[in-house]
Amino acid sequence: MSEVSETPHGDLLVILRHAPHGSLWLREALDLALVGAAFGQSVSLLLMGDGVWALLQGQGSGPLGQKGTQSTFEMLEMYDIERLYIDIDALEARGLTRDDLLLPVIEVPAPALSAVLAGHRQIVNF
Amino acid sequence: MLLHLLNRAPSSSPVHQDVLRAMGEEDGLMLIEDGVFGAVSAQVKHFPGLEGRLFALREDLEARGLAGRCDARVIIVDMDGFVALTEDAQRTVSWF
Amino acid sequence: MRYALLVLGGPYSHQAAHSALRFAHAAIARGHRVETVFFYHDGVYNASHLSAPPQDEPHLVDAWSELRRTHGTALQVCVAAALRRGLLDAREAERHGKSGASLEPPFELTGLGQLLDISQTHERLITFAP
Repeated sequence: MSEVSETPHGDLLVILRHAPHGSLWLREALDLALVGAAFGQSVSLLLMGDGVWALLQGQGSGPLGQKGTQSTFEMLEMYDIERLYIDIDALEARGLTRDDLLLPVIEVPAPALSAVLAGHRQIVNF
Repeated sequence: MLLHLLNRAPSSSPVHQDVLRAMGEEDGLMLIEDGVFGAVSAQVKHFPGLEGRLFALREDLEARGLAGRCDARVIIVDMDGFVALTEDAQRTVSWF
Repeated sequence: MRYALLVLGGPYSHQAAHSALRFAHAAIARGHRVETVFFYHDGVYNASHLSAPPQDEPHLVDAWSELRRTHGTALQVCVAAALRRGLLDAREAERHGKSGASLEPPFELTGLGQLLDISQTHERLITFAP
């Protein structure tokens, strides 16, 4: 895990604010990010609010076989989505630490959030 | 400069806190739909430090009977004014 | 300016589609071109040909079609989001062995790549969410 050092930049920022399983927001947001990366765009993800639950280790599928998102996150690097920003306050508010997470992330303190948004040419908020 | 759209009342959703934390110093905040409940005097305290860049959509205020209850610190704009704000802002971010 | 709208909210359940329509007409009145409306997430329900609201309520499906007719606005619907929610055009209905189609022109099924294309080719992209 690292802190924001270089100026955030990219073509597309997808903000993830919903936890997995309770709705389709997270999955359909990730679909957009993956397609963006497949189209050669420079895509970043920013996890805020309950979106940080998406990175918790040990998730499964639902009892009816509903898909979660853990396997998608584990493939992000393969899709060339390398910048995964996380709202560090949202993480701490939920009693989580970096050791609970599936992937290395870039920690963003509150004063740096606006720079992450400003650094991307397009922002879609889910 | 970014324009943020918010369609949730601060009394029913904490999302306004994320908006405020993600806003840059020049960014504007436009309250639409149920977001306009945050424009009444008793609620506008949830949006500190936004004088001159906090807006509410007139038709959503009027539909909810709030036309006379909007706080003086909130700038009321009509649909035409809403479009004008999106012309000035490079990008728009919607929060819900 | 060239505007695109992204509609994520279903019709009637939330105000999102009404707001998007109001915005589209206001933008056009100010001299802009609203070239594309893209429907994603529950927004795809806006394209249901089978929508039959009471007569004293705004007919959203007709209003979108009218926008296409009078201003040439493309009405694009994410195919993956649409199929899982039961929005199929004639071709998809046949492909999936369904008795009828629930989505008709001027709405068109398209991929998410189109949304990314829109975000690059239009000067403004405004999202209306539930």
